[in-house]
Amino acid sequence: MTPGFTRLLFARRSVLLAFLVFLAVVVLCLLAPVISPADPAKMSVRARLTPPSGAFLLGADAYGRDVLSRLLHAGRVSLLIGLGVAVLSTLIGVTLGLLAGFVRPLDAALSRLVDAMMAFPDILLAIALVSIFGGSVFNVMLALSIVYAPRFARISRASTLVIRELAFVEAARSLGSGTGYIIRNHVLRNIVSPVIVQATFIFAYAMLAEAGLSFLGVGVDPSIPTWGTMINEGRQYIDTAAFLILFPGLAISISVLSLQITGDGLRDALDPKLSKEL
Amino acid sequence: MWRYVLKRLVGLVVVVFFVLTIAFVIVRLAPGDPAALLLGPDATAADAASLRERLGLERPIFLQYLAFLGGAVTGDLGQSIFFNQPVTQVLAQRAEPTVFLALFSLLFAVMIAAPIGIYAAYRRGSFLDQGAVSLAMLAASVPSFWTGLLFQRYLATDLGWFPSSGYGGPDAGFLERMRHLMLPSLVLGIVNSALILRFTRASMLDVLGEDYIRTARSKGMGEARVILRHALKNAAIPIVTVVGLTFALLVSGAVVTERVFNLPGMGNLVVNSVLRRDYPVIQGTLIVVATLYVAINLAVDLLYAVIDRRVKY
Amino acid sequence: MRTFRLMAAATLLMGTAIAGPALSQTSLDIAIIGEPQSLDPMMSTQDVVSIVTQHFVETLYTFDSSWNVAPLLAESLPEISADGKTYLIRLRDGITFHDGSAMDSADVVASLERWKTQATRGKGVADRIEAITAVDPLTVQISLNAPYAPLLSLLAFSNSAAAVYPQEVLGETLGAIVGTGPYRLVDHKPDQYIQLARFDGYKPRSEPASGTAGARAALVDELRFVPVPDANTRVEGLLSGQFDYADGLPVEAYDRIAASDAADPVLLDGFGWPVWAINHKAGLLTNRDIRKALQAALPFDDMMFAAFGDDKFFATEAAMYPEGWPWHVTNGTELYNINDPARAAEYLKAAGYDGTPLRILTSRQYEFHFKMAEVAKIALEAAGFTVDMNVVDWATLGQQRNDPALWDIYITHSPFLPEPALTDLYFSTSRLGWANSEKDAVLAAFTTETDTAKRLDLFGQLQGYLMDDVGFIKTGSFAALQGQRKGLTGVNLSPWPAFWNAARP
Repeated sequence: MTPGFTRLLFARRSVLLAFLVFLAVVVLCLLAPVISPADPAKMSVRARLTPPSGAFLLGADAYGRDVLSRLLHAGRVSLLIGLGVAVLSTLIGVTLGLLAGFVRPLDAALSRLVDAMMAFPDILLAIALVSIFGGSVFNVMLALSIVYAPRFARISRASTLVIRELAFVEAARSLGSGTGYIIRNHVLRNIVSPVIVQATFIFAYAMLAEAGLSFLGVGVDPSIPTWGTMINEGRQYIDTAAFLILFPGLAISISVLSLQITGDGLRDALDPKLSKEL
Repeated sequence: MWRYVLKRLVGLVVVVFFVLTIAFVIVRLAPGDPAALLLGPDATAADAASLRERLGLERPIFLQYLAFLGGAVTGDLGQSIFFNQPVTQVLAQRAEPTVFLALFSLLFAVMIAAPIGIYAAYRRGSFLDQGAVSLAMLAASVPSFWTGLLFQRYLATDLGWFPSSGYGGPDAGFLERMRHLMLPSLVLGIVNSALILRFTRASMLDVLGEDYIRTARSKGMGEARVILRHALKNAAIPIVTVVGLTFALLVSGAVVTERVFNLPGMGNLVVNSVLRRDYPVIQGTLIVVATLYVAINLAVDLLYAVIDRRVKY
Repeated sequence: MRTFRLMAAATLLMGTAIAGPALSQTSLDIAIIGEPQSLDPMMSTQDVVSIVTQHFVETLYTFDSSWNVAPLLAESLPEISADGKTYLIRLRDGITFHDGSAMDSADVVASLERWKTQATRGKGVADRIEAITAVDPLTVQISLNAPYAPLLSLLAFSNSAAAVYPQEVLGETLGAIVGTGPYRLVDHKPDQYIQLARFDGYKPRSEPASGTAGARAALVDELRFVPVPDANTRVEGLLSGQFDYADGLPVEAYDRIAASDAADPVLLDGFGWPVWAINHKAGLLTNRDIRKALQAALPFDDMMFAAFGDDKFFATEAAMYPEGWPWHVTNGTELYNINDPARAAEYLKAAGYDGTPLRILTSRQYEFHFKMAEVAKIALEAAGFTVDMNVVDWATLGQQRNDPALWDIYITHSPFLPEPALTDLYFSTSRLGWANSEKDAVLAAFTTETDTAKRLDLFGQLQGYLMDDVGFIKTGSFAALQGQRKGLTGVNLSPWPAFWNAARP
């Protein structure tokens, strides 16, 4: 990434701000074991539902556990799921797209398969998979990746189809360049921008979807704290301790919002043509 | 045009075939004996054996797959374990709230998004434009259950403007049932307005730059008329597209929203079915919703073709 | 005339849009915790099934407000032969089912036979029952092969109930939901509502209402049971006036309900007790010293506080029945709440404990189970135990607890049952497998003895053995929170609230 690109990306101050906010969230959560004021699992029953105070900066939950510490540790899981889904769906999607683009006989079938994958609403498919295979972090990631992969498949298939017909690729091929070479040097280079942009948004959607699943109680195992489970646990105290759903709700909203603004900025900077579409 | 329609219809059949296959594979990949899983912890080995027999689980997997496909095509999605009723019947009973929730929330979304989107495009770059875009982004970033909980707590329970939950009692007429859908639709509409707002704004910007708008203006046509008559008409196409796209978003949102407001719709049914281990219902819902999605997107594309004669196929 | 019609139309319109039911109809909307597994109380032990079905299906006996057995479809309490083996039950005359047919002894015999072979609790007594016969159209006789004191309580219980159906509808599943109750089933939309209407052919008993015994008046025209799986949605619905009654509310909502103008909290003190079930068949806790170490180490105060939050909602008490219950006895209670890690460590040393993990099986279906376990874990570790928490979902727990190789302790809870022998954990045949020759002798005497005073004495001894041998652990007693519309009267407040004498203000 050239300095020119960075300047372009952060030309809008809002994008810079959003990026810094998201970076801060990531760093804080990564450092959770170091900077957490308390053990996120440690209970002090007598201090249950303490409002934010000196001893508990963001208050204590129904077990008297420190909300700030739990928020930081839960963030690691929520971010991990977002990142995992972004990476996994890119891998699945791009592979499918390349296959469809290069292996002609597979194109029609793969394209319809991709349509079928896209037809399952994210939460619904995740619910089905999690109910059958259990609520591990990986299963949730896999389910969401299946739903989001088609977006990448479409981008890479379209790009492949265009590129393989270009004169210089024909020439390269006639000169003996293998398919692998063409993929690396032409197709991937061409789709890297839209894929990165799309992955940023998928990261955000996955975090929202995970929160929804945990809220429904059909997401990751409830003993693993995530921001969604924290809201689910806190909702019964909406009157006595509204901060219990306020802070994790803000954490989700801030992360998703900053990611989406960053994604917008990335799109504008990487590919001005794309910016009109969304 | 007709060739295009035919081609799309064939495509639809293939996609639905894949949908069915995925749904079959998901449920059959479940670890353990499906019969024991269906019967729950209290079942004896003999019970499980007789259910395996009845469900045809002793047959080779490929034959089971064919039987499943055959059933699905003829409208048989199996039997709900919990209700002891055909899955299609169980789903049909839950369709009304979900369908109207989807329709009303779309309506709310368009009602919120279209005017703001048009105005933002018209005043491009202004403070209002930036505000509208940020607001849309925010609406898409806040979890809908969070908004739902707050709305339910303050607008329904405290202020009493809306029923707090449910779908009305046995003697609730159509109007009363729809009244129960207003608050959930609003919650869902706000979330879905984000995408529509951005699409409306973008396509209006495109249209406003076109020659014929400039011509209309130069002929002295009033601004309001220019916007509403010409511009909006042309901006309608991408809006229709995005409405098709948000269907999946709508269903996902409906699952969560129906849960918060205890609506007896398909989303709530799925979550309950997970807790009841009623896999045939989960599978059936997946199939029906995915097929609907495919069909709606086909309809949208065809509509697109009708609205815009210039599109060539 | 025209004005009138206009007004009527307007009222009707507003009625559908705003008020709901038409003026002449009165109804109660009751929020329950989920869709009942079945509408046949014989085939289910779920409390929510009992709550709903008791309004349309009746049993021969029932319980009055002090949990004494009282007649319902039977004319009076049975004539029990001197050897305690024969029960002669006279039925009330002129009882009709909802389908219009008259109830007679043939219906009762067929229903009891089905209960004996298919209901969980019925199967439990099947091997003691020699015969169920119709003596005449209004008399039924049950012969036992040995005296069995809990029989009447079983016949009265609404859970896995010995319900009476017309013999025509009986089968593995019921042909139709037809009972004798003050309400009849009108419509059932799963996950949406169960609609009941007053049964005009109902013949109430003449005694005043007490508990679920005595007269049942069916004061309102309709009852609607609405499944609302989410506890907070039940609270919001109650407070917004949408529900007249709501079951199973989170205790945290107490203050908010108390402060509202719409509803009052209903606190059921002494609702139930959390149980730590102990594996006597295999594993670490087959060693009595280790069980004693467990008993000595558990911090009951902290566990109950963590689980229920406010001492309004729980009591740390050892007795199997709280004060005020006829079964309240104090034998062995000094062994409860020792909370002494040093003493526990001594027991562990005496047992030669080698650090094998203590496996606690629990779920988060009921948050208080999990909370107790989390708190106990820390105290047990302080006493020298190695603890292995296995948190699974409720259905999995139900499955795994049947395999003695998988757990040392599992956590559950029970309401206070009107008859101690209804709790199967005391019996060596339960999945716990708690066998102890002295205890088993006392228990056998307890189930066959018919004299109340002697039974109470025997129960005292049983509780003594329970504490001394650590058969299973009752961690305390807890209250349950329900809520009702302000001014609603006549609800029979119990773990299974009943609404036939309820009236709206």
